[in-house]
Amino acid sequence: MKKYIPVFFIASFFLTSCEDFLTVVPETQLSSATFFKSQKDFEQAVNSAYVPLRTIFNDRAWLLSEMHSDNTYYARNVLFGATDNQEDLADFSVPESNGTSANTHVLNQWRQDYLIIARTNQILSLIDEVDFDAAAKANIKGQALFLRAFAYFELVRYFGDVPLHLTPVGSREEAALPLSDEAEVYAQIISDLTAAIPLLLNKSKQEAGRATEGSARTLLGNVYINLKKWGEAEQVLSPVTTGGYSLMGSYDLAFSKNSSNKNNAESVFEVQYLEGSAGLNGNFMYQFMPRPISAAELKPIMGTSNPQNIDGEGNNIPTPDIIAAYEDGDTRKNASIGYVELKGSFRANKVYPYIKKFQSNHSQHNNHGMNWPVYRYAEVLLFLAEASNEQGKTSAAAGFLNQVRSRAGLQATTASNQTDLREAIFKERRVELAFENKRWFDIQRTDRIQEIIGAYGRRIIANPLDYYYPPLPGAVPRNNAFTNLNKYYAYPAAESDLSPYF
Amino acid sequence: MKNHQSFRVKFRFIGLLFIMLCTSILSFGQTQSVRGVINSNPENEPVPGAIVLIKGTQKGTVTDFDGKFTIEASPGEILVISFVGYTTKEVAVIAGQTNINVSLDISTSDLSEVVVVGYGSQIKKEVTGAIQTVNEAELKDLPVSSVAQKLQGRLAGVQINQTTGKPGQGMSVRIRGQLSVSGGSDPLYVVDGFPITGDINQINPDEIQDISVLKDAASTSLYGSRAANGVVLITTKKGKAGRTDVNLNVYTGFQNVPVKGRLEMMNAEEFAQFKKEYYEDAKQTVPDVFQNPAQYRDKNNDWYDAMLKTAPITSYNLTLTSNKEKVNTAVIAGVFDQKGVVVNTDYQRYSLRMNTDYQVSDKINIGVNVAPNYVYDNTPRTDGTRGTGILFNALHTWPVMDIYDSNGELTYFNRFPSNTGNIFAYPNWVRSAQEITNETRRTNVLTNTYAEWKPIKGLSLKSTFNVEVSNSRFFSFSPSTATSRINVAIPTVAQSNRDDYSSLSWLNENIATYRTAINDHSLEALVGFSNQKFRFDRTAIQADTYADDRLPTIQGAININRNASFTDVGEWSLTSVFSRLNYNFKGKYLLTASVRTDGSSRFGSDNRWGVFPSTSIGWVISDEGFLQNNSTISFAKLRASYGVTGNNNIGNYTQYALVNNTINAAFGNTVAAGSGIISLQNSNLGWETTSQFDLGVDLGVWDDRLTFGYDYYNKNTTNLLYAVQIPQESGFTNFNDNIGEINFWGHEFAINLIPITGQFSWTVNTNLSINRNVVKSLADGIDRVYGSYHITQVGQPFGQFYGMVKLGNYANAEDLANSPKIPGRSTVGSIKLKDVNGDGRITYGGDNDDRAIIGNPFPDFIYGIVNNFKFKNFDASITASGSQGNQIYMRHLYSTANLDGVFNMVAKAKNRFRSPENPGDGIFGTTVGGGNVTGIERDWNNSNFVWDGSYFTVRNITLGYTFTKLPKSVKSARLYFSGQNMWVFTPYWGGSNPEVSMQNNGQGDGGNLSPGVDLAPYPIPRTLTFGVNVTF
Repeated sequence: MKKYIPVFFIASFFLTSCEDFLTVVPETQLSSATFFKSQKDFEQAVNSAYVPLRTIFNDRAWLLSEMHSDNTYYARNVLFGATDNQEDLADFSVPESNGTSANTHVLNQWRQDYLIIARTNQILSLIDEVDFDAAAKANIKGQALFLRAFAYFELVRYFGDVPLHLTPVGSREEAALPLSDEAEVYAQIISDLTAAIPLLLNKSKQEAGRATEGSARTLLGNVYINLKKWGEAEQVLSPVTTGGYSLMGSYDLAFSKNSSNKNNAESVFEVQYLEGSAGLNGNFMYQFMPRPISAAELKPIMGTSNPQNIDGEGNNIPTPDIIAAYEDGDTRKNASIGYVELKGSFRANKVYPYIKKFQSNHSQHNNHGMNWPVYRYAEVLLFLAEASNEQGKTSAAAGFLNQVRSRAGLQATTASNQTDLREAIFKERRVELAFENKRWFDIQRTDRIQEIIGAYGRRIIANPLDYYYPPLPGAVPRNNAFTNLNKYYAYPAAESDLSPYF
Repeated sequence: MKNHQSFRVKFRFIGLLFIMLCTSILSFGQTQSVRGVINSNPENEPVPGAIVLIKGTQKGTVTDFDGKFTIEASPGEILVISFVGYTTKEVAVIAGQTNINVSLDISTSDLSEVVVVGYGSQIKKEVTGAIQTVNEAELKDLPVSSVAQKLQGRLAGVQINQTTGKPGQGMSVRIRGQLSVSGGSDPLYVVDGFPITGDINQINPDEIQDISVLKDAASTSLYGSRAANGVVLITTKKGKAGRTDVNLNVYTGFQNVPVKGRLEMMNAEEFAQFKKEYYEDAKQTVPDVFQNPAQYRDKNNDWYDAMLKTAPITSYNLTLTSNKEKVNTAVIAGVFDQKGVVVNTDYQRYSLRMNTDYQVSDKINIGVNVAPNYVYDNTPRTDGTRGTGILFNALHTWPVMDIYDSNGELTYFNRFPSNTGNIFAYPNWVRSAQEITNETRRTNVLTNTYAEWKPIKGLSLKSTFNVEVSNSRFFSFSPSTATSRINVAIPTVAQSNRDDYSSLSWLNENIATYRTAINDHSLEALVGFSNQKFRFDRTAIQADTYADDRLPTIQGAININRNASFTDVGEWSLTSVFSRLNYNFKGKYLLTASVRTDGSSRFGSDNRWGVFPSTSIGWVISDEGFLQNNSTISFAKLRASYGVTGNNNIGNYTQYALVNNTINAAFGNTVAAGSGIISLQNSNLGWETTSQFDLGVDLGVWDDRLTFGYDYYNKNTTNLLYAVQIPQESGFTNFNDNIGEINFWGHEFAINLIPITGQFSWTVNTNLSINRNVVKSLADGIDRVYGSYHITQVGQPFGQFYGMVKLGNYANAEDLANSPKIPGRSTVGSIKLKDVNGDGRITYGGDNDDRAIIGNPFPDFIYGIVNNFKFKNFDASITASGSQGNQIYMRHLYSTANLDGVFNMVAKAKNRFRSPENPGDGIFGTTVGGGNVTGIERDWNNSNFVWDGSYFTVRNITLGYTFTKLPKSVKSARLYFSGQNMWVFTPYWGGSNPEVSMQNNGQGDGGNLSPGVDLAPYPIPRTLTFGVNVTF
């Protein structure tokens, strides 16, 4: 048997070395074993936590808030089906069963917010175990806390009670959590933002586009206003007025343009887009166009070299209500709303309004770089006006309000008592912040849903032609329109199916 | 017939080895010395290794290399002469006779054949697993490019579907109905002992000598974690003992798509009439262009037909085989050239194989096989859904739109006025097919080397080293003048895609085999270990916006699309130890046991090794005394097996938590790199496990003129790889886990009959298979997985069609008022659906809506029939196969029966609902009401899409004539006609291919979760060829 010994020797050699032979790690992708080891890793991680904001503001937020208000509606195109998801939001007819809804936009908003939360939880749970420059670490933590609070603030306003994930999920069992009370979620948001404010840099020192101390203060101010904690709101917002912010000279300059005017002096926090093929662009301007629109009709609006026809149904079309809401002489009206004639429309009047305020020429069809203004200094002033007014500081409130009105070419407000001023601020917010996804939250937090949306719904049902329905048989508001005027959206059905808790 | 010869010769050779091993049991007698030569009939060639035994004794001998023998025998004794592949003969010894020459006839029975099994070969009689074999003779005349096409209809328990007619593509092979939720389900292909990683259908079928299909766990478990989907063993050609042959096989012919069987669409006049009625029914003004449909009577544009043409097919194969002295060589050179029946499609293969075995000494053999091949194929984006596949687009383009302009040139772009409902613009699809390049160039080199050492009698030590190198270069270019997308104006953005892929797989195996026989006990033991490693490297680049369509280079593009450009590497490694024991007593009580242990890089670090045992037993009843002299039953065997196998097609890195480092952000006008964890780790991830029981009977009656085989199997697949959905509040979509259980069972019947022998002979081979499955469980808390139009649900078979149940159309206002309906959408004449959940209204979406299982893509049974006839010099064969009870999801109806009149429509829609007085045939509803009404019928999956897909296809008819008067230099010559895919008989009306299964993007079949979907893929042509086969 001696001659077989080499065979067994070779065999044992192969068997002992096989753990190495059998360990094959991915070469073109990093894995958890190799990541979260350095400052650079954490910087990249926090960058990725900003990314869901692009999707939220390009594709979802305006559907869930602006078109879910009396500011905008869809322009019905009867040739297209599969438009229920959008129409249900605009028509306040999102179907609910057992507290859940299959609406795809509601679902995706939920998912994108929790993606921000998961990414920031990874950072916050691991960053203290890795040793690197303290200032860089503070900045990353501050941004992560800001983003987590931002996501929870969206969730709590859309859904009320939500699962509160504060540590990374590691297994199948940890994936679902019970719902936490609204109050508990708000407490966490306030705690995160309070921690973030001292960690974050002032706008002048922070890289443009990232969350700053001013962003965190404004967000926290918004949270307090939502909670009607007027004193706290004023206290946290006041330092923003000395933080280097100012109103731009004219209203149209407040917006970022395609590339030239991003993160300007008025900008407190913007979602950042970048034109080009890197996939960082937006296309919301195209989604806001009434349809079918031809290339020739689109070209003067977008200024691209390759305009193309767009079919489907146009969304986020300014309503007659918002058009009428501007006072005479308000320069914001023309800056905010444009008009386009669609030859392919079935309507007698083929001229449709569209949202113009973000518009800026760009080079390629369906690909633009305009940022989305989340918080502008104008809103900080209106927040301060509101917080002051609610505390009875009427003249201070009027002062903040008039800064905004004056830039719009309007006279100082005539409101002089708290009630009138409250209404003036509410109206001012509507036109100053039109199409910036504020309207629904303003109606929601002031408990005016039945009053405002109820009346709005009756107007649409009575006069569908005024709300862009074509004069065709059957082209009228659906019979379930304006039947669901709930404060919160139902939980996404797809998530509910997988969670034992809701 | 040359091919039959080569087989017998091969068996002779293997028989020789076998007999040498068994000589120890034979003892020698005396009395009278008898000499002789054993020859074969009809070739009259010596048979080496034949056994010459004196009946009733243990005395005997074996013929030498020249077929000669010498034996001592007494007068009156009877010599029993036997050899595998031949009928055993008995010759009486007459006193004084010293010379007996015997010629052995080909056996009508194949039970003594040698069958290739995993890691060796076995006499068919002694096989205890479920194995079916096919040899080259059965495959030779079929004018198709791939092995799988040649096997259609021939194998019991194996469903082979051609899901698309794209040249060189689209074969789906499922052994015993094996399925997986997300792992692969293709069988493991082993070529000359080497499990290949490339596409088996790229291999020139003329290189193949025989194929063994291993179906049960006892046969496959030596392939361990890769065996659960079944194993197909392919042996390539060798030379025949003592001869040198040169064979030339050439055929040429043409292919076309018969008009009968195509989906019938409206012609221009019918379409104009439909449009006219559409506006009339809606009480709207009829657009001018549709006022007078008769004006289109002579101006029909059949867009689908314009995509098709008659196309040539040609194949050349030159084979040189030589087996003389110590060298056995086979060289096969092939050229296959198939033009497609769709404009600008093309498939070519150039292949070479050189197999050489060299006997270094009595104890040492070495061998090398080298097989390079090169395949070129060009298929524009023919397959896919609306806006993706050119054929689908062409099918539903308005027939009133012009293919050719007044000068006879192809038009560029067609659009009707917007008031005609022409909301989609159509490029000219013929131009798209002609101008879009979509080509792949593949090079594949498969090599096997081995050295075998037989240090002592019965022991073989064999080491093999196998390498497979593959390289493919994909290039597509869509110029500014053409597009495969709908609604894109011409000129459009020119785009190129490049995808370069190269892979290397190597395998080292070291196997010791020991055979011995002690008295009535025969034993074969095998132990081995192996290492295999695979790696691919891939680079893909997408570029667009070209200054000049003539220069589709990367540098010629203005824009490189970063999102679709990437490099990728994939690797796996596999270390295995395996062993097997074959034991039999007197050749009638049979036992096999084997076990393989696989360690795989794909398995989680805490679950690295899998053990796959199996055992099987057999009983040759006909060898028992009570049946030995039975005049009816010539053979009877019972066999049973049980074993465990695995499926490791779970992805290379599924166990790891991966970081995506291209989740980039922008800040201001600069890009900032971003990274995030995108999946969860599972260090316990493992293979899918299948445990299988098999019970089989083999029966031969009337001297094996009728043979019957039956197998019953029952298997359970557990630990299915599944990305279990988790709530996305976690930040992740899935957790990769091993879950669930599927139970499969089935029956396989094979009947071979020789009704007529003699000058006119007729043989019939038939098979029928029944495959069933039921999902026993999925993950905790998950009872269903949705596919595109499907559901896989606990308690039901896999991948069932799922949707609304159509009851008809709402007949009138009363019917509408009294029936459940869709609030705000249902109208008189619109589709009436069943209120499955009984809540009084019709809802779609979510787990508790009105959807139900509405059809089954899997057949009740599948069957095949092969007839062979021979009369003098003429031969003929007819191969047919069919499937009964399967249904097809006619998905293309969402466009080809879009009631809004935006596309051309199926001709059946002429008979749609128009009014309560004129309700049509109930298949299609009213056009009135626009998308709000008509959208239900097309956008909601419903039973109106589900149609019977049963079929019976005459796959092949061959007629041949063999020349007998030949010049001396020519050994044989045959002329033949062969027709492939001659006729399809089916009630299916949605297209010409009832084997269809498609993904939306046209890139492959629907997979396990979404099978049987028809999106009008590339049609399968009828092929008519003439061929010549000459051996020198």
